[in-house]
Amino acid sequence: MSRVARWVPPASLALALLGLGASTYLTIAHFTSPDVLACSSNGTIDCALVTTSPQSRFLGLPVAVLGLVWFVGMSALCLPIAWSTENRLVHLARLLGAIAGVAFVLWLVYAELFIIGAICEWCTVAHVAAFGLFAIAVLTAPALLAGPGDA
Amino acid sequence: MAKRRTTAQKQRARLRQQQRAAGEGSPRVASGSGRPGARRGRRSASWSWIAVGVVVLVVAGMVALFLTRSTTQSTDRGSASAIAKVTHVPEATLATIGIPKNLPTIPRLPAGTPPVVRDGKPVVTYVGAEYCPFCAMERWPVVIALSRFGTFSNLGTTTSAANDIHPNTPTLTFHGSTYTSDYLIFSAVETHTNKPTSNGGYTTLDPMTPEQQRLFETYDRQQYTGGTDGGIPFVMIGNLYAWAGATYNGDQLNTYTFDQIANLLADPSSPIAREIDGAANQITALICDLTGGQPTSVCSAPYLQQAQTGQ
Repeated sequence: MSRVARWVPPASLALALLGLGASTYLTIAHFTSPDVLACSSNGTIDCALVTTSPQSRFLGLPVAVLGLVWFVGMSALCLPIAWSTENRLVHLARLLGAIAGVAFVLWLVYAELFIIGAICEWCTVAHVAAFGLFAIAVLTAPALLAGPGDA
Repeated sequence: MAKRRTTAQKQRARLRQQQRAAGEGSPRVASGSGRPGARRGRRSASWSWIAVGVVVLVVAGMVALFLTRSTTQSTDRGSASAIAKVTHVPEATLATIGIPKNLPTIPRLPAGTPPVVRDGKPVVTYVGAEYCPFCAMERWPVVIALSRFGTFSNLGTTTSAANDIHPNTPTLTFHGSTYTSDYLIFSAVETHTNKPTSNGGYTTLDPMTPEQQRLFETYDRQQYTGGTDGGIPFVMIGNLYAWAGATYNGDQLNTYTFDQIANLLADPSSPIAREIDGAANQITALICDLTGGQPTSVCSAPYLQQAQTGQ
């Protein structure tokens, strides 16, 4: 029996797929040209400036690829079967993944605002999806990770 | 016994009701009330909401700080009052500073160079780009000097590229500006922005006019400017002088804001003012040479006349 509200699995999966779509798009742009991004490039909104900045790589890896891999993992962890499993490791992995993801998002938002000085619309879509997943994972964690004596 | 069973059933029913209620609106499942485990669950849930709230607050704080800084910076870099300080440097300050001896001599074009004239007035040409740090440096004295012969409108402000040497040097930009003078024509073009492109260049801005293109290709050569062929900024004072690069040492400009530099220009004791105003005086002297000493209110200053005779 699922220990979360009925809307949680579909909502979290939708968020994960939304982020997966955005990061796939950014990955394609990274390996082809930022010109393929449907994004304005003047003033504060400038996808090309963000996706070609030094901060678009982390430890030598393209951030877009890291996001793609992360959303693939979160999509798997947000499948209905993953939500209904009694295996606490799955729920723990979702929680830790979400925390790591949102921590990285905070760094990226900082980099966009204060280092690069521009915001990428498609990156923001992925950031919002990651935050939504974080909120759901954190708010469901107490019930899902509670021991037998706690429930 | 029957009474105890009834009480237990009521408790279970109440628990199920709470679970259903919690399941409708909250992603978590409420624990039973009153037991230690339930209290731990409520504490965990509280921490969860706190964690989400902290992330929201951190993001909101960063956005608010960014918006505040953006507003402040656009005021610093673009305020009309700051630009007015550049176009109206006090004559007393300029006279006190004069033309420093350490400034490089501006090369004079060969005799016989065809006049560059439009509408009966000699033309001062500038070719630069917003990303270029030496253009950022040179615009300061160019604007100060030209403001003594005419009036700028819609001067903008910008910085040099963040990913080049002397990054983010505050400066003005001629993009979108106009200049009117009774004595000369100022023909300026900023060919590129300071926004990098994916191929290592910068996005294009304004195209050169055919006249600018011709002068740039003909005279922005080492044999005339003493600098690199095609180097920018390229400045040509009619058919008399041409140079490529900055005419003073502006290495420290990017440690100041636009407003700070604009304010320092009036202070003759400031090293920044001595560099920029000194270079502006030198350019003023060259323009006086071009305009035949007009207007006399500017060109009759002794320190400018000495410079002209010294060239």
